[in-house]
Amino acid sequence: MAASQACLLLQKQLKDLCKNPVDGFSAGLVDENNIFEWSVTIIGPPDTLYEGGFFNAIMSFPSNYPNSPPTVKFTSELWHPNVYPDGRVCISILHPPGDDPNGYELASERWTPVHTVESIVLSIISMLSSPNDESPANVEAAKEWRDRRDDFKKKVGRCVRKSQEML
Amino acid sequence: MDETDSDNYYYDDCDDDEANLIEEEYDDQQNFTVLKEEEIAKLQEDDITEVSTVLSISQSAASFLLPQFNWSVNKLNDEWFADQDKIREKAGLLEKPVVQFNLDSKNQMITCGICFEEYEYESMSSAACGHPFCGDCWRGYISAAINEGPACLMLRCPEPSCRAAVGPDLISVLVSQQEHDRYKHYLLRSYVEQQSKIKWCPAPDCKYAVKFDAFYGTRSYDVSCLCSHSYCWNCTEENHRPVDCETVRKWILKNKDNSQNAQWILVNTKPCPKCKRPIQKNQGCHHMTCTPPCRYEFCWYCLAKFESYSVRCCNAYRANGADLAKMELELEPNQKKLKEYLDRYLHYFERWANNLSSKQRAAESLDELRSKHIEKLTEAQQYLSELELNFITEAWQQIIECRQVLQWSYAYGYYMPEDERLKVELFEHLQGHAEYSLERLHKCAETELQPFLSSEDELQEKFHEFRIKLTGLTKATKDYFDKLVTALENGLSEVAV
Repeated sequence: MAASQACLLLQKQLKDLCKNPVDGFSAGLVDENNIFEWSVTIIGPPDTLYEGGFFNAIMSFPSNYPNSPPTVKFTSELWHPNVYPDGRVCISILHPPGDDPNGYELASERWTPVHTVESIVLSIISMLSSPNDESPANVEAAKEWRDRRDDFKKKVGRCVRKSQEML
Repeated sequence: MDETDSDNYYYDDCDDDEANLIEEEYDDQQNFTVLKEEEIAKLQEDDITEVSTVLSISQSAASFLLPQFNWSVNKLNDEWFADQDKIREKAGLLEKPVVQFNLDSKNQMITCGICFEEYEYESMSSAACGHPFCGDCWRGYISAAINEGPACLMLRCPEPSCRAAVGPDLISVLVSQQEHDRYKHYLLRSYVEQQSKIKWCPAPDCKYAVKFDAFYGTRSYDVSCLCSHSYCWNCTEENHRPVDCETVRKWILKNKDNSQNAQWILVNTKPCPKCKRPIQKNQGCHHMTCTPPCRYEFCWYCLAKFESYSVRCCNAYRANGADLAKMELELEPNQKKLKEYLDRYLHYFERWANNLSSKQRAAESLDELRSKHIEKLTEAQQYLSELELNFITEAWQQIIECRQVLQWSYAYGYYMPEDERLKVELFEHLQGHAEYSLERLHKCAETELQPFLSSEDELQEKFHEFRIKLTGLTKATKDYFDKLVTALENGLSEVAV
C-alpha cells in the first residue's frame, strides 16, 4: 500500500510539472517504467557563479516516499561545499526525519512529507546561490570558498563550461 | 567462631531467592530498589499525572514535555512557572490553532498537504496548530517516525514551518496497536535512560531496572538485580570495591587496547564528548548529533560543542588541540621505556586476569557444591544435616568476594604513583597478607572436602577438624580483606606522603 501511495503521488507531481513547468529546472523520468528514478536538469541560477550551467542530477525516491526523503545525486561534475565529490547533495531537508531529534534546528530545515520534487529542487537551487560552509560535504571546496575565492571561481567556471559542452 | 556461625544457621540456610528477598526487605540499609517493567510504568505514570495536574495541561502534553526535561518533574515545574510561554514555544504546545478554516458550509473539501487529494474537513486530523492532513498520510508520517526510533517522542507537525507537538493523544488514535506499543516502549525507555536515578540492569536479556536511592549503609554502588546479576550501579561494570569507577574504566580500556576490536574502534570512531559512546561517521557533514537520548551536538573534527548557527572553524592547526583518542596512541617515545612500561603492565594484568578466572571457577565450584556435593555429603556422612554444612557455602562465598577484591586491587596497584614509596609498601604488605590468606582458604576449600564426599566410613572426628580449619580460614581471610578494602578506600591515609 505504501509503495502505491508513493507511485500515485509521484505520478501526480510529474503530471503537474509537465503541465506547469517551473522556472529554473526541468524534470522527467530516467526510465518511463520506473516512477522512483527522476532525471532533473537544474539551470545555474542567474547572478551566481553557476550561471549558465546545465547540471544533471538523479533523484531516487524510496518506496515509503513521502515519509522518507529521496536522495539527489549530480551526474554532472559540480564543485560546491554541500555536494560530495561523488555528486550526492547534502542539505538538511534531505536528511531522514530521525536526524534531528532535538528540534533545535529550524523546523523548516527537516524533511517532512509535505516536501515535493519542486520544493526540493528549489532548495537545491537556493543552495547553489548560497553555499553553507558550516557543514560542508566537500571540505576542500568549502575551504576554497572561504579562503581562496578565486580558485573556487575557476573550478566552478570549469564545471559550468563542461556542463554546456555536454548538452 | 562456631557460636556466631550457628546463630546464622536457621536464617541464612535456605539460600533461594525468596529468602534473600525477605532479608533485603528487612534490611533498611539497602541503597537501591529493583524495578520491574510494570513498576517503572507506574512511576512514569505518577510523574505524568503530577505534571498534568500541577501545570493544568493534558496527560499527553505532560508526557511530551517530560522527556525534554530529562523526566525531572521539579525542573519542568520550575521552568514552566518561570516562563510558561517560552516552554510552550520551545516544545510546540500551542494554546490555539495557527490556521483556521471557515466552516460556513458543512462538508467543506480541503486538500491534504501531503497527498494533494481532497477530503472532507471533518475526516481529517491535525495537531494543536490546525494544519489538516488525511488519515492515511498521518498514519504514514507517524509510522515512519516510530520506525526511525526514539526520536518519535519529539514528533512535530509535518508542515515545514510548524513546530506543533504531535503527542501521544494524536498518535494513539491514528496508528496500529503494534506501533502504539512501540511508541509506549520508547517512552518507557526514555524514562529510564534519561534520568539519573534509574538504570537498566546490564545483564543480557534482563528487563529489570535498578533505582539507586541513596547511600544509606555503605558508600558503595554495589547492587544486585532480581536476575541475580551483581554489579556496580554507577559504571555498570562488575562490582569492583575497593577501586573507584574511573580506575576501572581506564583499566578496562587499557586491557582492550591490544585486541583488534579496540584498535578498530580507536582508529575508526570517536567517543561522543558527552556520553562517551563510540561513534562511527559514515556520511554527512561534520556537524554531529549523537543519537537519543544523548543528542549532544558537536564538531567531528575538534569535538567541541556545536553552537547553532555560529560560524565556527577548527581548521587551524593547534599542537595541543588534537583529539584525545589519538594522543593516547602516541605514548612512549623510546623503546626501552616502552618495554619497562609493558612489563609493569603485564605484571598487574596477569594477576588481575588470574584472579578473575579464579573467581569464575570459584563461582562454578559453589554451584556444584549446592547442586551436588551437599547431597553427597549428607549421604556419605550420616551424622551431618544440611544445616550444618552452611560453613562450606560461606567459605566459597567469601572466596568469590575476595577474589574480586584482589582482582581489582591489582588495577589499583597499577595506577599507584610509583614515587609514593610508603604507600606502595603499605599496599603491597596488606595485599600480600590478604592474598596469602586467600590462597590457603581457597586450597583448603578446594582439596580438603574431597575425602568426605566418597568415603564409606564415617569420619566424624576428621570432619570436625576440617570444619574448624575452614571456618577459621574464612574468618581470617575476611579480616585481612576488610583491612585491605578499608585501607584502599581511605586512600592509604595511614602513611603520610
